[in-house]
Amino acid sequence: APSGNKPADYVYFDRSTVGFSDETVPRAKGAQMKLEHYYKVAVDSAIERNTRRVELERRLQGDTMMTEERKQRQLQQLGKKESTFLRLRRTKLGLDNFRTVKVIGKGAFGEVRLVQKTDTGKIYAMKTLKKEEMLKKDQLAHVRAERDVLAESASEWIVQLYYSFQDPSYLYLIMEFLPGGDLMTMLIKYDTFSEDVTRFYMAECVLAIDAVHQLGFIHRDIKPDNILIDKDGHVKLSDFGLSTGFHRQHDSSYYQRLLESASNTSQAPAQASRNSVMVNSINLTMTNDQIQTWKANRRKLAYSTVGTPDYIAPEIFQQRGYGKECDWWSLGAIAFECLVGYPPFCSESTHDTYQKIMQWQYHLAFPDDVHLSKQAEDLVRRLVTSADRRMNIQEIKKHPFFYGVDWTTLRNIDAPFVPHLRSITDTSYFPTNELDQAPEEAAVDTGGAATKDLAFLGYTFKRFSISSQAF
Amino acid sequence: KAAPSAGPKPLYLCSPFVESALVKGNFKTIVMLPKYCDIMEWVAVNIFDFYNNLNEFYGCLTEFCTQQNCPTMSAGATLNYTWINQDRKHVHLPAPTYIDYVMTWVQNMLDDDNVFPTKSGQDFPPSFPSTVKHIYRQLLRVFAHIYHAHYAQILHLRSEPHFNSLFAHFLAFGGEFELLEMKDMHGSSSAPVGVGALWERWKGMGILTQ
Ligand SMILES: Nc1ncnc2c1ncn2[C@@H]1O[C@H](COP(=O)(O)OP(=O)(O)OP(=O)(O)O)[C@@H](O)[C@H]1O
Repeated sequence: APSGNKPADYVYFDRSTVGFSDETVPRAKGAQMKLEHYYKVAVDSAIERNTRRVELERRLQGDTMMTEERKQRQLQQLGKKESTFLRLRRTKLGLDNFRTVKVIGKGAFGEVRLVQKTDTGKIYAMKTLKKEEMLKKDQLAHVRAERDVLAESASEWIVQLYYSFQDPSYLYLIMEFLPGGDLMTMLIKYDTFSEDVTRFYMAECVLAIDAVHQLGFIHRDIKPDNILIDKDGHVKLSDFGLSTGFHRQHDSSYYQRLLESASNTSQAPAQASRNSVMVNSINLTMTNDQIQTWKANRRKLAYSTVGTPDYIAPEIFQQRGYGKECDWWSLGAIAFECLVGYPPFCSESTHDTYQKIMQWQYHLAFPDDVHLSKQAEDLVRRLVTSADRRMNIQEIKKHPFFYGVDWTTLRNIDAPFVPHLRSITDTSYFPTNELDQAPEEAAVDTGGAATKDLAFLGYTFKRFSISSQAF
Repeated sequence: KAAPSAGPKPLYLCSPFVESALVKGNFKTIVMLPKYCDIMEWVAVNIFDFYNNLNEFYGCLTEFCTQQNCPTMSAGATLNYTWINQDRKHVHLPAPTYIDYVMTWVQNMLDDDNVFPTKSGQDFPPSFPSTVKHIYRQLLRVFAHIYHAHYAQILHLRSEPHFNSLFAHFLAFGGEFELLEMKDMHGSSSAPVGVGALWERWKGMGILTQ
C-alpha cells in the first residue's frame, strides 16, 4: 500500500527466490556482474576513445605546416583504427587461432609457449595460467587491479600484453615474444658477469623497476627469471601483474608453516632472530659443492609453485608492511649474483634461505676468491640492507658503481650480448630441451563451473594500439 | 494465462521499479557514433553486445519461460507475436520456442562472416542496415515478453536495475540509429505493446531523449 510521501503508484514487493532452482540465483548474480563490468568498460572506452581523438585534433591544430588535406587523412586514419578495434571486439580469438611452435618456459601456474597466429603468421609468447591454481592462491582482486594498469601501460621496460582470452580452465595471455631468453638462463650459462656487463644489466633494471614504481606498483618478485632480454639484448620485466601475488612465497603464514614443518628446527622466526645460538646452527658459508647443487636445482626451483625466495626482501616476510624499497633489495641480490655467481643467501633449502634473509646482517658475505671493486661491493651493501637505510632511486642513480652511465640513452646503446637469431621463431636462448615438451597444443578443458569464470571477469583484454591492428 | 496485465498497472511501470537503474544519466556518451568511426562497425559491435547481454538475462528465466507458463509469445494483455515460418505463414509459438528461434537466428548471423564480417578488409554487405533492423525488431520482442511475463522474476532476482538499464540502452541506441519502428514500440490500439508505455515514461523522466 502506498504511504507517506511515496508516489501514488509505489508498490511493495516481497522478494523471494523460494522455488527458484539452485542454478538460477547465482546465474542471475553472474549476469548482473557481467553487465556491471560491461558498462564500466563501455564508459571507460568511450572516454579513452574521446581522449585519443581530442589529442590528435589538438596536435593537428597546432601544426601549421601540415596541409588541411593531410590533417583530414590523419583523422580518417584514426577513425579507421578505432573501427578496426571495434571489429576486434566481435572477433573471438581463441586457442585455435594460435599454433604452438615450442614450449619455452615454465612458471608456477602454467607454461609459456612460442606461438604463431595462424592467419597473420605473427609470433607471440603465450602464457597459460590454470584458473584453479590461481583461485587457490586466492589473490585475484589485487592482482587484477595491477594487471589492469599494466595492460594499459606501454612502457618500453615492460613486456607488452596484446591480448588475453580464457576458457573454463585456463587464462591465456598473448604477449610480445622476447627472443633473448631471461637473465636466469644467462647466468646459468655464464656463471658471472664482468663488472661492466653487470653495470649494464643493473642500470637497465634500475630504469625498469623505476618504470614499474612510477605506474604506482611494487613488483615484489624481481628475480633473474623475470628479467627478459629482447632481440637487441635490452631488458624488459615480464608481466608481473599476473605473476606476482599468486605465489605463496609472499604469504608470510606460508613461511611460518614451512618453518614449523622444517625438520631441523621448530622455532618461529621471531624467536629465531632473538636467539643467537640459532644463527650458528645455519651454515654460514656454502661449500663449492653446495653452490653447484644450488645451481643445478635453480631451474627446478623456478618451475615449482613455491618459487625461490632468494631475492625477496626481509620486510616482505614480516607482517609489518613494506614499500617499493623491497624491489631495490631484490636488485642488490641480483647484482651480487651477477658478480659472485650465486645469490647472497642461497642455501640448500628454502627454509635456510629464508632464515638467512631474516638475519642478513650475519649472512651477507663476499667470498674472498672473487675480486670485486669497492664500488660494486658498496652498491650491494647499500641495497641489501634494512629498508630504512636502503638507497632510493636518486641515490642509486648517483652511486659510484654507475659512474658514466647515461640514464637517458641507456636503451639506445649497444647491449653486451645481442642474441644471434636465425629466424623469428628461434628459441635457442631458451632451455627448451629441459622442458618436457608437453602435448603440442595446450589442453582445452571445457568442463568447470560457470561461477568460477566470474572471478576472471576483468581478464579478457584487447589492447588498443598499432599492434592490435596487426592482430 | 501468462500475465495478470489487464487491470492493475504492470510492475515495471510502478515506483520504485520504473526508476531503478544501474546506469544513471543519459546514455548519449555510450550511444553516439564515435567521431570518424565507421557507422556499420559501431552498430555491429553494439548489436553483438545487446544480443549477448540479453541472452545472459533470458538465460536466468528459462525455468519460468516454459511451454506451460508461456504458451504464446505475449507482450501485452492482448498482444501475441507470431513467427513467420518457412511457408511464410504466421504461426503462434510458445514463447520459449519463439525466443529460441530468435536467439539462434541472431547467433547464426553474428557468426556468419558474410553478415557480420570479422576478417580485416572485409566489408559489410549492402543488406546490413536492413538485417540489423530485423534483428532489432526481434530483440525488442524478447525484451517485451520478459517485461510482460517475467518481470516479477526479475524482481525476485534483484536484477531490475540491470535489466532496466540494458533495455533503456537498447532503446536509446535504437532511437539514435533509427532501428526502432514506432509501430513496433506501441503496437496497435487493440493490442498495445506493454513496454511502449515504459518507453514513454522513461522519455518523460529524461532517461531517454524525446
Ligand atoms: N614474453 C616472453 N617472451 C619470451 N620468453 C618469455 C616471455 N614470458 C616468459 N618467458 C619465459 O618463460 C619463463 C617463465 O615465465 P614467467 O616468469 O613470466 O612465468 P612464471 O614463472 O609463471 O611467473 P613468475 O614470474 O611469477 O614466476 C621466463 O623465465 C622466460 O624464460
